[in-house]
Amino acid sequence: MLTIALPKGRLQKPVLERFALLGIRPDEEPGVSRKLIIPAGAGARFVILKDSDVPLYVERGAADLGVCGLDQVLESGADLLTPIDFGFGKCRLCLAAPRESKLGSQAALADAAEMGRSLRVASKYPRLSARWFARRGVPVDLIALSGSVELAAVSGLTDAIVDLVESGRTLEENGLVVVDELLQVSARLVVNRAAYRLKVEELLPLLEKLG
Amino acid sequence: MRPLVEPSTPLPGTQDLLFEAARRLRRCEAALCDVFEKAAYGEVIPPAIESAEVFGPEAFRALDRSGKLIALRADFTAQVARIAATRLANLSPLRLYYRGSIVRRLSADSGPVHERLQAGCELVGAGGPEADAEILSLAAASMRALGLRNARLSLGSTGYFSALANAAGASPRLATALHDAVDRKDLPTLRALCEREVAEGKARDAILLLAQPPRPQADARAMLERAEALAPSDEAREALRRISAALSAAGSLGTGLEVDLGEVRGLGYYTGIVFNLYALGSPRPVGGGGRYDTLLGRFGDPRPAVGFSLDLDALVPLAEVG
Repeated sequence: MLTIALPKGRLQKPVLERFALLGIRPDEEPGVSRKLIIPAGAGARFVILKDSDVPLYVERGAADLGVCGLDQVLESGADLLTPIDFGFGKCRLCLAAPRESKLGSQAALADAAEMGRSLRVASKYPRLSARWFARRGVPVDLIALSGSVELAAVSGLTDAIVDLVESGRTLEENGLVVVDELLQVSARLVVNRAAYRLKVEELLPLLEKLG
Repeated sequence: MRPLVEPSTPLPGTQDLLFEAARRLRRCEAALCDVFEKAAYGEVIPPAIESAEVFGPEAFRALDRSGKLIALRADFTAQVARIAATRLANLSPLRLYYRGSIVRRLSADSGPVHERLQAGCELVGAGGPEADAEILSLAAASMRALGLRNARLSLGSTGYFSALANAAGASPRLATALHDAVDRKDLPTLRALCEREVAEGKARDAILLLAQPPRPQADARAMLERAEALAPSDEAREALRRISAALSAAGSLGTGLEVDLGEVRGLGYYTGIVFNLYALGSPRPVGGGGRYDTLLGRFGDPRPAVGFSLDLDALVPLAEVG
């Protein structure tokens, strides 16, 4: 029996389509059913999760495998195998700032160091952001927010934001521009390290067909 | 009246073991010690604190009154290497075992520590594949002694990975990125790194093979032969031969053994074969080991050694002992 962590939200549909190609279909439709665990035939079941919780469930073994964005894999710091890049759910994790600010108008990070104080940055990705700025030697005051991150830069709470950019429309409509790109994101298959070894007979055929 | 002690529970990452839990741990330890003693290994009990230089950055450190940096035990193997290299310098081979707890920081950049109960063996002064096989067999016997019938042993080699990284002329930064991708079985990232930064050739092809799924012992020969045909250097060929030789010498272990050339996870000082143990019911490896031929040299006695340790916190709840 394989337990598969299925993310809610925009990734759910394409993920279910990929598993359906292998004959793994939930017995009830996740959008309709209120069940949190949905069997999928005799050999598998789906657990329905927020995508940011997928890495932890899989690392701790409550699910054997799952799907989430590369951003969530890296932000969680979870110790996982990431054998497959599905290629959908594509977006970019970007540093963005108001168009008329020094950072935004020059579209260069180097100038931030000349501000004479730490760069203030808001993000839902404090771990990823901290590491990225640290590697560039830029002192940064990171503010972890849980929603409407753009507002932080627009309202003057911070100098810049680190957030996912899909089409760029939200940024544009709020007068923000991309300064730099931290990461290219797409949906990844994540697998528990021990499950990969102990359930290898069930998992390998699945990995071959998903890949 | 004096106020109550706050907090009144153990620190996160530590625990109190009471009565039956304590009894279980001792029974498991006794079963393991029995296996180790019968294989002619002798117990050593190193101190709980050491000079900080013995351990890596994961150790929990403090300054003593003279300003010297000391650390809580973070790794038995380094302590056993120190003992072997100093008080037991003229005896080869040495068969030593230990049990007890280690204290480590959760990661190099985090403050919190956790305590882990371990038991393990070190075979010092024996550099051949028979020594590798002896340690593999002993690890498998330990799983059986704890009643874990469905355990798996996944065998790889950090020596082989290093040989490929050397042959590819990888910078330390690139080697780290490749190691991380191999360790995560992240074929897409590995492919992107190779295409961007490794010249076409045998080394690149061999590196790309590292993210392949593991092969059971029965199919391992074919995979090792395929890898040997691609081996870009004598160093790489030698590392592969060591895996084959260890497999031949070990024979049937009675524990599911698989060869995974992408099994590169281990302590920083491993130089040759490396392995991890997995058991149904534990989401993380329950033990692991490998060859470390340069560690004793740090203490002035350059002798080869190989060993393994078991994570008793993970194993005791799963064990079926009398």
